Amino acid sequence: MTGEDLRPQILVRDVTKSFSGRVVVDVDELVLGDVPVEGLLGPNGAGKTTLMRLIMHSIPLDGGRVTLSRPGQRDVVLSATRTSQMAGLGVVKSTQVITDFEHLTILDSALLAVTEARYERPFAAAADRAVRKRHEDEIRHWLDYFGFDDPLAVALSGGDKKLLDIVRCLLLQPAVLLLDEPTAGLSEDHTERVKSAVRELAGKGTSVVIVEHDLDVIWDLCDEVIFMAEGKVLLKDNPATIRANPTVVESYLGAGSA
Amino acid sequence: MNLDWLDAFLIFGAFKVIEIMGLGLLVHLQLGLTRVANFGVVGFWGLGLYAFGVAYLKVDWPFGDVYQFLICAAIATIVAAAAGLVVGWLISDLDDDGTLVGTLGFATIVVILATTQQGLTGGALGLGGLGFPYDFGRVKTHEFTWLLITTAVVVLIFVYAWRVHRTPHGRLLIAVGANEALARSLGKSATAARLRMMMVTSGAMGLLGAMHGVMVRSLEINSLDVSVTLAALAALILGGTARVFGAVVGVLLTVALFDIVIQFYIPIPDGWNTQALPVAREAVFGAAIVLMLIFRPQGLLGQMRRPALMRRLHGDW
Repeated sequence: MTGEDLRPQILVRDVTKSFSGRVVVDVDELVLGDVPVEGLLGPNGAGKTTLMRLIMHSIPLDGGRVTLSRPGQRDVVLSATRTSQMAGLGVVKSTQVITDFEHLTILDSALLAVTEARYERPFAAAADRAVRKRHEDEIRHWLDYFGFDDPLAVALSGGDKKLLDIVRCLLLQPAVLLLDEPTAGLSEDHTERVKSAVRELAGKGTSVVIVEHDLDVIWDLCDEVIFMAEGKVLLKDNPATIRANPTVVESYLGAGSA
Repeated sequence: MNLDWLDAFLIFGAFKVIEIMGLGLLVHLQLGLTRVANFGVVGFWGLGLYAFGVAYLKVDWPFGDVYQFLICAAIATIVAAAAGLVVGWLISDLDDDGTLVGTLGFATIVVILATTQQGLTGGALGLGGLGFPYDFGRVKTHEFTWLLITTAVVVLIFVYAWRVHRTPHGRLLIAVGANEALARSLGKSATAARLRMMMVTSGAMGLLGAMHGVMVRSLEINSLDVSVTLAALAALILGGTARVFGAVVGVLLTVALFDIVIQFYIPIPDGWNTQALPVAREAVFGAAIVLMLIFRPQGLLGQMRRPALMRRLHGDW
């Protein structure tokens, strides 16, 4: 058994989803987590984000089954699991649309991600500082890494909110991390930092799946690329092969892009 | 204790101010932090009042006054908390409009039950016989002492609400209220957080209802009208839903203004106190809500000042 076999995997089988009679996802079989970093490519409306949301069970499946498989642990049917339990199982997803918690500061957001449920009960005696003490090193590491100068302020710019979303995901120490357009709107420097963080995480055993329209990120970061169109998985191969595939070139990349 | 200098009606006016302040603080946790628009405050408060009254009057307790009060108040708190849990669960998947209508419906059910279950509640006629858990002699002394005890309870509610802002529990409530989907994606059970919050705050509303029962020493169906909810909401919206002091400032500018300042210190024609003033009070409270929501929805004290609080708590970061 190789090291890659020990990665957590997500098995998508016979999964379908329609909106208003239009099939947006129709995947017979897909294994995510074969390799450290996988990219999910496809034109707009291919069903990439919907597939991610189906994996997270934030929208119900019309049919099929999504299963989490982790080395040494029993498989978990994600399609029968509540969204709020996903992070506890190690399945974490960043948001596609820039979003945040109104009023909460950057440090609030980070502390929220790491706080255990027992500290969040109405009469829990532990002070906020106790939670901070337990998780200060990891929070400080990621906030410093992404250059948050004032964690006690509210994230105002779209870029800061995007990075904060990624920080929250990283603080959850995911087994499987789904990133939906993680570098959209970020500066070149921050994009490189996100890529480095993903590599570091994948190197430690996390399975990462990325949806990204910045193709340089995909070609640079991914060990394998899945190409989707009209809700179906059409191809799954290494980046160079996908990049040269006539179907991908014709329907997505455009002539002269290879 | 010589209380000749103190008007008995002033004691009752101050009691109403303190009582609504307590309810306003609890609504602050529901609406200001968690964004649960509870329009059925009087339902939880009234359930506590009637649960206390029925337990106090219909059960032959083998205890003295103090223990009888404590047990009946505990029953009122538990019954209201259980109602908060059930109502919270029923409204957990509803949007703001649904929550508002659902909680209003709950309050209506409480009023209907209190009116129709005559064997237990006395119905429209009500029930007398509630009493203070002590006997010092004069009624005014009893009432003043009860005002002080109720004030102590509301101070505890204030301290709890103040502390919630400084705990992971408060952060979770703010997160759930601001962006439930995002909170869920971080592994937070938004439903459980809301249910716990509803249980605690509704239980406390029930306790305040029980304390009201002791002060008025009777169960009266007229006390279960919308004015309780209206006063708490108007005060909080005026002061600022997102600030702990919002309820305090709001109550001072609304209930205290009408029930103490105007009633006792402004020369108004005879008869107005019992007829025109209560009607004008409700109208002004309603208008205050509408005007504040249009012109300053964040209230007089403004938005939550989370960065300032975090700098106080984690200034050494």
